[in-house]
Amino acid sequence: MQLCAEARAVAGSSCLIALCLCLLVVQGCRPARETLPALKLTHEVSPQPPRVGHVRVTLKLTDSSGKPITRAGLSIEGYMSHPGMKPIAASVAESEPGSYVSEIDLAMAGDWVFIVHIQLPGQVSVDRQFEIKGVLPA
Amino acid sequence: MFQPHRNSNPRNSFDLLRVPLVGTLLRQKHARTLLQIPLFLISIAMILHGLFGPQLAPQNLATTYTWLHFRGALVFVLLLAGNFFCLACPFMLVRNLARKFFHPVRNWPRRLRNKWFSLGLFVTMLFLYEWLDLWASPWWTAWLIVAYFAGALLIDAVFKHATFCKFVCPIGQFNFVAATASPLEVAVRDTAVCAGCSTKDCIRGVREPATPLVSIQRGCELALFQPRKVGNVDCTFCLDCVQACPHDNVGIISRVPAAELTIDPMRSGLGIFSRRKDLAALVIVFTFGALLNAFGMVSPVYALENWVARVSGVEREFPVLAFIFGLFLVAEPLLLIGVAAWLTRIWGGTRKPMVAVAVRYSYVLAPLGFGIWLAHYGFHFLTGLYTIVPVTQAALGGQPHWGTPGLAPNVVQIFEFGFVFLGLLGSLLVSYSIAFAEKVDRPSRIFAVWAIVALIITAGALLLMSQPMEMRAVTLGVG
Repeated sequence: MQLCAEARAVAGSSCLIALCLCLLVVQGCRPARETLPALKLTHEVSPQPPRVGHVRVTLKLTDSSGKPITRAGLSIEGYMSHPGMKPIAASVAESEPGSYVSEIDLAMAGDWVFIVHIQLPGQVSVDRQFEIKGVLPA
Repeated sequence: MFQPHRNSNPRNSFDLLRVPLVGTLLRQKHARTLLQIPLFLISIAMILHGLFGPQLAPQNLATTYTWLHFRGALVFVLLLAGNFFCLACPFMLVRNLARKFFHPVRNWPRRLRNKWFSLGLFVTMLFLYEWLDLWASPWWTAWLIVAYFAGALLIDAVFKHATFCKFVCPIGQFNFVAATASPLEVAVRDTAVCAGCSTKDCIRGVREPATPLVSIQRGCELALFQPRKVGNVDCTFCLDCVQACPHDNVGIISRVPAAELTIDPMRSGLGIFSRRKDLAALVIVFTFGALLNAFGMVSPVYALENWVARVSGVEREFPVLAFIFGLFLVAEPLLLIGVAAWLTRIWGGTRKPMVAVAVRYSYVLAPLGFGIWLAHYGFHFLTGLYTIVPVTQAALGGQPHWGTPGLAPNVVQIFEFGFVFLGLLGSLLVSYSIAFAEKVDRPSRIFAVWAIVALIITAGALLLMSQPMEMRAVTLGVG
């Protein structure tokens, strides 16, 4: 009787856990990917290695054929990889066709994640992400 | 020498259960459930947001709530009150519901009825935190919360009593050690009342008079018999004993923080501290783990990792990190405590074996360890306190309003140092009390030895907290 009750307990709780896990897995455990226009964003940071303080980020925006995308509206948000920090926001200006420059003040050493909001000329907006890892103390 | 209250003058002790409103609420039969439900709902939101929400840690509820607000609030509540987070533990809500249907009959294996297993899990947690960069991963953080729910449910579906809390849960073990420095304790109001008690309901629980097999109120599931309970170790503040006591003789009573570490009586459910190597090891890992966890957030850790990788020729993070863990959690304590125990024997005139000395005096470190955790978690909590608002706004689909994230880091650093010094003071008082309570020739020398150990650890903590914080994942070969 005792063994039977215990088996029921194990089976019951295992089923409950398995059911929850299945629901999570079936739902797709990663956030769904949005359908994005085919564009490529590359970035360069200077100085290297990046240090706390002023850095210049140059972004190159091209379409799938490698042709520069001009007159796009870009803005940048930067986050530390650890929660608890205020994000930084920076404007981006087009310096030459398809090339955009942003001046950013990095407030802390460590890993930074940047989200680039891109407003394409046809009013389509997409986000892209890049990282600046290992920013050193000033 | 300072002594624990232990009902010396119960009428003069502050008793939280006698406080209007708060006391009335806590004395309610379903008080624990009421406190657990909000945390359970928040946990579910954290899991869902961690799995399906934005995978950027500062934007996600799972990472922000867990690694900033939960940890910070936890240590402050432990400092100012007691182990109230175990009281409101959401994992136990699910487990208690499951216990309505499952009635486990098996006891936790005898050889595992100690802290070694949970100590291993605690170290594993610390390791996973660094290895998987849990603080930066909503995904892994969500799965960690799921694992806690699953673990509590499964363990307590199979084994009787509060096996998960007492022998498994790493958060619980952290809370138990930290709560030795808390100002409140679930304790007997008047020992004379217990002396005349024949039912012992606080440990046995209350049965239905007509059908004695039916329990209507649990007694202590962690085997802490109130009249012989000493201190906060293993107490989850579940208040089952408060509900069960037919004489209304259990309260949440004020006491001198850390004083429970200065005495060494037979403790209900725990035995004698000086004979518990596992508990001493837990205190040691708790203390040196605090240093290690803080070390993982400052610049020198990357230099050390790269140096280890270069010297050993190992490029993978796992073995490099394992080496650093070995350095902090094994080599450093062995050296410091080993030398201190040896000096205690040859200078202090004690005739106890070295291991016994090391075990007895390891408890000295608990307040200092708690001070370091408090400084570290308090820093993140206070500097990122208000980020709870924009992150919640964004999770609810609104526009996040990022204002000041919290207090200025240079202001919080003053608090950080204060917490470490507070911990040091506690450790010094505990070591003084233990040394002068022992029948030895030169107690002042023993005190001096352990004071130096505490000062060395304090110096390490202050050095770490003076370093510029560098929040990044390990990338061997960089920097």
